[in-house]
Amino acid sequence: MSETISFPEMSNDPDAEGVVATWFANTGETVKAGQVIAEVMVDKVSVDVEAPIAGTITCLVEEEGTAKQGQEIARID
Amino acid sequence: MVDNDTRVDFYRQMVRIRAYEAALQANYHADKTPQWDIGAGLIPGEMHLAAGQEPVAVGLCANLGKDDAITGPHRPHHLALAKGVDINKMTAEIYGRDTGLCHGKGGHMHLFDPEQHFSCSGIIAEGMPVAVGQALAFSRKGTDNIAVAVAGEGAANQGAFHEALNLASMWKLPVVFIIEDNDWAISVARDTATPIKDGSLRGTAYGMPSQRVEGNDVEMIYEACKTAVERARAGGGPTLLEIHTVRMWGHFEGDAQAYRGDELGEANERDPIPAYEKRLLSAGLLTEEQAAQIKAEAEAEVQAAIDFATSSPEPKPSDAYLHVFA
Amino acid sequence: MTATIDAGTRRVTTAKAISEGIAQEMRANPDVFVMGEDVGPYGGIFGSTGGLFEEFGSTRIIDTPISETGFIGAGIGAAVEGLRPVVELMFVDFFGVCFDQIYNHMAKIHYESGGNVKVPMVLMTAVGGGYSDAAQHSQCLWATFAHMPGMKIVVPSNPYDAKGLMISAIRDDNPVVFMFHKGVMGLPWMAKNPRSIGPVPEEEYTVPIGKAAIAHEGSDVTVVSLSISVQHCLDVAEELEGTTSVEVIDLRSLVPLDREAILSSVAKTGKLVIVDEDYKSFGLSGEIVATIADTDPSMLKAPVERVCYPDVPVPYARVLEYEALPTRDKIKAAIAKVTA
Repeated sequence: MSETISFPEMSNDPDAEGVVATWFANTGETVKAGQVIAEVMVDKVSVDVEAPIAGTITCLVEEEGTAKQGQEIARID
Repeated sequence: MVDNDTRVDFYRQMVRIRAYEAALQANYHADKTPQWDIGAGLIPGEMHLAAGQEPVAVGLCANLGKDDAITGPHRPHHLALAKGVDINKMTAEIYGRDTGLCHGKGGHMHLFDPEQHFSCSGIIAEGMPVAVGQALAFSRKGTDNIAVAVAGEGAANQGAFHEALNLASMWKLPVVFIIEDNDWAISVARDTATPIKDGSLRGTAYGMPSQRVEGNDVEMIYEACKTAVERARAGGGPTLLEIHTVRMWGHFEGDAQAYRGDELGEANERDPIPAYEKRLLSAGLLTEEQAAQIKAEAEAEVQAAIDFATSSPEPKPSDAYLHVFA
Repeated sequence: MTATIDAGTRRVTTAKAISEGIAQEMRANPDVFVMGEDVGPYGGIFGSTGGLFEEFGSTRIIDTPISETGFIGAGIGAAVEGLRPVVELMFVDFFGVCFDQIYNHMAKIHYESGGNVKVPMVLMTAVGGGYSDAAQHSQCLWATFAHMPGMKIVVPSNPYDAKGLMISAIRDDNPVVFMFHKGVMGLPWMAKNPRSIGPVPEEEYTVPIGKAAIAHEGSDVTVVSLSISVQHCLDVAEELEGTTSVEVIDLRSLVPLDREAILSSVAKTGKLVIVDEDYKSFGLSGEIVATIADTDPSMLKAPVERVCYPDVPVPYARVLEYEALPTRDKIKAAIAKVTA
């Protein structure tokens, strides 16, 4: 089973663009459920993003690349 | 009592300072995208802006001349502008250009203008003993110039504050200590760091006249500073003024301010400039058109300063080795 | 004790590694607590105490007034009475307002008492520049601290060492100054080298204080470095693979200084480059050269290259600051010169 991870809703402005500041896991690696896989930032507020399930991660956005809130940023298979 | 022309001038100066801080804020962030990087852009490094604290600078500096000294904190722009520091050279310094006050060596926390006897430091409270020294020099030279040390309420818990007050009082020096109480030392609220509600007690403890000024009102601040400045000039020694003001924006630009909660919105409702504008409008001292014109002129002056800065050359890399020694 | 890193080890930032090390020691020992400016809900200006306030609350994670002499002195007092404080000096540059407590008290009480009183305290502090914070907020100053006897000094360059050294520091019965370069913290709001994120075992483990690490093995030249400069040296060493075989020594600790590691590497290569972001003169790089000169100067086949911060205050403008910093280009040029 596979699950996608979306950029969290962090800002009052739903159109505010964010950045995937840091990837802690790279495409192809195995991650555990609950493992922090990225740090993302919107308007200078940053949060950790956790893997919802265990599996192999595919990163869909480059590090320091922009993403909209709600946009898919990774997939776990 | 302040005459009407002065009141309008107070308003004009506060609008000028706010236009400056707002323009710096916008430009500071504009080229730090998409990834916000503190070291990136035309204005790299830290940035501490004083929106909300304009009344302190304007009310204080209306009592000062060119040869009076100010030592300021890491949040210095409102004080520099009100004192009369050249806006173009100051802006060029903030942009790290060779035409800046310090040829790009100091940046926004280290603005030095010897003509205006203005300096600031990034180390909390450490400008206070320096102001005491300037006052000592003025007193020895027999002039009636005075020194003013400006620091925040957090600085009042630093050792240098206490030593400076004690010395100034013991030696009866012509110095005015201004504490800008904006309620926050970065994320630490005043009432979790300072056990007394009225910080002017600390001046009394060191044997000097002291006053806490509430309301962030430019005219009341002007009057309080006038008494203190005149006392110093007349040889009456130091005064401590604790002035309650408001920090409308973050401690630094990039500060998400999660720690402020609802207080942030409430603090922004205490913006002193619209409040003063309303008073002048209803007193018939200002029209809406005049207010708009004052704003436009301020913005134009600020933009000209920014244009001067951005069109100025950067220092040569080898200048990094200059000025270690005279 | 060490812990293994395998393919499954999760990666974290250096900042997170530091706060995790503190958290694990706090869970194990109720005597450990944290004091400093903005260490509470803010999580430390550079993230060193992230998450701690939420877990341990305000009695053990204490936001102090701006009173460095006061709260560092208070840390000393708590330590002599058996607690184990971790006290943060926000920027090392601020040591000027409180150095008496640090070098005359924290560092000397054990000695002055003939060994009868211990000061099991960690003084952690942010060091370093490269992001235009100018003269009073960009210094490294580890040599200044190292010069005064009585305090251990650790300087991690990566997340794994950061956590292990913090745990070692907290467990050490001596005062330990834990100096973290802001540029290695892996913060999302400051340009970062990928080496600031790395695999860190979830369990507790220690990294020994006083032992350097061979960060990159080589045979043509020894490059001794610490903190963020190790990251730059490794970038250069990897780039030069195939051309020059560079051995990078990550000091990890300054006091005690692992002189053996330096000597044995230079005995092997005969060539020495020192890369240090602290001021050049009267400091660490001179101490390293003296170590060789005191032992066997003939092991050097070429003069030493010191890639250090020059003897100037840190300027604000980026073009000026980067003229002075020990950058990768300067490291490469130094390696080329000694191996020519």
